[in-house]
Amino acid sequence: MSTATAPAAVAQLLPGNRVLTGAAASEWSGGRAVEAVLFPTDTDEVRALVREANETGTDLLPAGNGSWLDAGGWTGVRGGVVVSTARLDTLFHYEPADLTLTAGAGLGWRKLAAVLEPNGQWLPWDAPGAAAGTLGGAVACGGSGPLSARYGAIRDNVLGLEVVTGDGRLLRIGGRVVKNVAGYDLVRLFTGSRGSLGVITRVSVRLFPRPEADMTMVFEGGVERGLEVARAVRTTSLPVAAAEMDIRGGGASGRETRVVVRVLGSREEAEEVCSRLAAEIGAAPAGTMRGGESDVFHRRRSVWEERSPVVVRLAALPDQVAVTMRWAREVARRTRGEIAADVLGGVVRVKGSPADDGTAELAAVLMRARRDVEAVGGTMTLSRAPQAVAATAGWAGGGGGALVQRIKSLFDPGSVLLSRCP
Amino acid sequence: MIPDTLTRSLAEICGPGGVIVDEDRLLVYESDALTAYRHRPGAVVLPRTTAEVQGAVTAIARHGLPIVPRGAGTGLSGGAVALDGAVVVGTARMNRILEIDAANRRAVLQPGVINAELSAAARPHGLYYAPDPSSQTACTIGGNVAENSGGPHCLKYGVTSRYVTGLTVVLPDGSVAKLGGRGREAPGYDLVGLFVGSEGCFGIATEIEVGLLPLPEGVRTLLGIFDRIEDAGRAVSDIVSAGLLPAAMEIIDGPTIRAVEDSVFAAGYPTDAEAALVIEFDGLEAGLDGETARAAEFCRRAGAREVRRARDEAERMALWKGRKKAFGAMGRIAPDLLVQDATVPRTTLPAILKGISEIGKRYDLVVANVFHAGDGNLHPNILFDRRDEDELERVERASKEIMQLCVDSGGTITGEHGVGLDKKHHMPLIYGAAELDAMWGVRRVFDPSGVMNPGKVLPEETAPGWPGHGEGRGAAEGEGAGVAEPAVAAMAPP
Repeated sequence: MSTATAPAAVAQLLPGNRVLTGAAASEWSGGRAVEAVLFPTDTDEVRALVREANETGTDLLPAGNGSWLDAGGWTGVRGGVVVSTARLDTLFHYEPADLTLTAGAGLGWRKLAAVLEPNGQWLPWDAPGAAAGTLGGAVACGGSGPLSARYGAIRDNVLGLEVVTGDGRLLRIGGRVVKNVAGYDLVRLFTGSRGSLGVITRVSVRLFPRPEADMTMVFEGGVERGLEVARAVRTTSLPVAAAEMDIRGGGASGRETRVVVRVLGSREEAEEVCSRLAAEIGAAPAGTMRGGESDVFHRRRSVWEERSPVVVRLAALPDQVAVTMRWAREVARRTRGEIAADVLGGVVRVKGSPADDGTAELAAVLMRARRDVEAVGGTMTLSRAPQAVAATAGWAGGGGGALVQRIKSLFDPGSVLLSRCP
Repeated sequence: MIPDTLTRSLAEICGPGGVIVDEDRLLVYESDALTAYRHRPGAVVLPRTTAEVQGAVTAIARHGLPIVPRGAGTGLSGGAVALDGAVVVGTARMNRILEIDAANRRAVLQPGVINAELSAAARPHGLYYAPDPSSQTACTIGGNVAENSGGPHCLKYGVTSRYVTGLTVVLPDGSVAKLGGRGREAPGYDLVGLFVGSEGCFGIATEIEVGLLPLPEGVRTLLGIFDRIEDAGRAVSDIVSAGLLPAAMEIIDGPTIRAVEDSVFAAGYPTDAEAALVIEFDGLEAGLDGETARAAEFCRRAGAREVRRARDEAERMALWKGRKKAFGAMGRIAPDLLVQDATVPRTTLPAILKGISEIGKRYDLVVANVFHAGDGNLHPNILFDRRDEDELERVERASKEIMQLCVDSGGTITGEHGVGLDKKHHMPLIYGAAELDAMWGVRRVFDPSGVMNPGKVLPEETAPGWPGHGEGRGAAEGEGAGVAEPAVAAMAPP
């Protein structure tokens, strides 16, 4: 059990200039009432904090830049102490010819891009919010964006991790080579575990050469036309890197839908894909972006979910898009929301804000959505939602079962780490 | 031999044709493709369904016998060897493709389906299964899942774990768990990713869902011939640095070239060369010729004496045949072969290749190298005759030095073959007590009683509770440790 002084005991392990308390702590955490935000600068400090938390029964919330702390849904009723790895931002190792990089978990996206760009390389991770966050935060969330159709999800590109487990053990798992089957794949277990098993302090990743050409075609029309275009893109054998369908304003005006298709490769290949794909679709795009323009367009999209009070993620096999899209539109209608659907991956996202008196109705719609999506083998996750909505509709489906519980107790036996996972 | 009561219950569960207890027939199952380790199983059971696997696992566990899952037995780490009279649960009769879902580019299959057969079945839909281990015409997808298998084309497309999206598994207690499934998105812990590569220690996958890719429109294959292997290694590094992403880059060294050319698999490599570098690009026809020309130029600049381009499919197949059959061809030169599988950072390849060749010379041994150069995944094979005791000792010392050299360069002990029996004692080279302890912990999450493929992957002296283990965290954790662990010292050295 935590006591009134427990968080203070943890906080006093760091100098005052690396501790936020009171209003400053809440503000940093996106309005969440936390007792302190701590900024360790090395792995030893993280270990000391975690051990002290175990001694004193203090709840810890591992975070990077804290982008998702306002999303709600954390386990535990007490405030907790945020451990931000944002200042563990050392670049330890980068060998361009190996296409690998090792850095502290707190290395920010912009800094990372600045290091990679001069070498014509990139980390093609476009999971929601990744571009605003840290390397470690992206790994902990383990999400995937539309580019995962081409490059794999985040979990496919993490080579190694250093973590401090919930009971204060230091683990260095995986490595920094691109093929490694030595022992059980704990890297995949920790990737996407959302801080529930440990604090990620160091990350090794696989990089990719930046393709010579980056092109984005935009097709516009009504919802029905959008779905037709999306179907053509989903079933083509042409190498499309990513494709999304956006619907604005609930989808009723007839011009609210656009399908955004990204093509990456050599210049010759990319031009060819674009012209052949347009022929398969049977229409010229409303516009085509090339090079930097295309890149900036997608970088902006990766923070699409930021600051929306409701973000729902409906996922099913791509040919079940009728089910996920139907419910996405129902949710959008009740939240004055927008839809972004990953055409190749089958993930449909909705963001919006419910009217003050509309939360009960929204929760009811979400419950029906969950039932229908799960009936076709899909999943529904609330990425961000008001507590009242989530309490009814649930954050995610399923409970995980005995294996998940045993893994949690193995790495965090004292249950000091707060998380939405498992 | 196993008790008659167990034989009878297994026959009831899997049918009389599904149980093998005959000593002669059990011989087939005494090793995998790494024949240095041989142990005859107590019995072999061949279930046909998830329910039969459940029944078999429960019955075997009730008799207190260890269980060893087995696919086609093509593994190269001794992972499917049955120690201590264990019962082998083979997946040979679970060989049905349950669904090819072309619309969603996925397939659901039983574990005994052969890798190449899945691609063949997907082909009419314009799709294929990307991971292509060299044994793909014989190995099973279930075995690929257990080992997280790679293959030449994993350079561009990634290894097995990228393609497995769902698993139905029978756990050691006989219960069934469904992990992931129906596409890529699965909230919660990545238990599918954790299970893939667990080398038969966590349970038996009885249904596997995988992703498929559209067949590439065109393929170009190049062959660079080098007088020095380091130059071939440099060409690989230069090609990647330039931002090219070939589908595969494979190096075949001088001794291997001569073995292949002397065999029925002759591919037309010049026998006086010290390295052949096979490079393949695939994708849209447009752009392929340009990329191939650039790669050819990098080979020439790195010192290639000759660069050939496969002019037709027949030439392409010949180039690949030489690479894929290299292990078989080496069998002609020496009776025994020690296969290594370290992965090193690509930029260290030239130095490592030189180092390996020096170690070979120092111990007066023939080391033949054939490997996935693009991934830095080496296969230095030491050729020897086990009847020569002095040579055997030199082989062991050289092999340790090679492993240490690779690890010191920032590499790992195994890139795709798995740890199995063969490399478990090398695990402490790359992991400390805390990491090994964590792996033991995860193993016990799936298999608390230690019946599943015991004696593999983790060295038992690192088990919490094992006598002499320094990092034990309480007696409770150590309970049962080592119960089913065999005496490793009795293992025949490779």
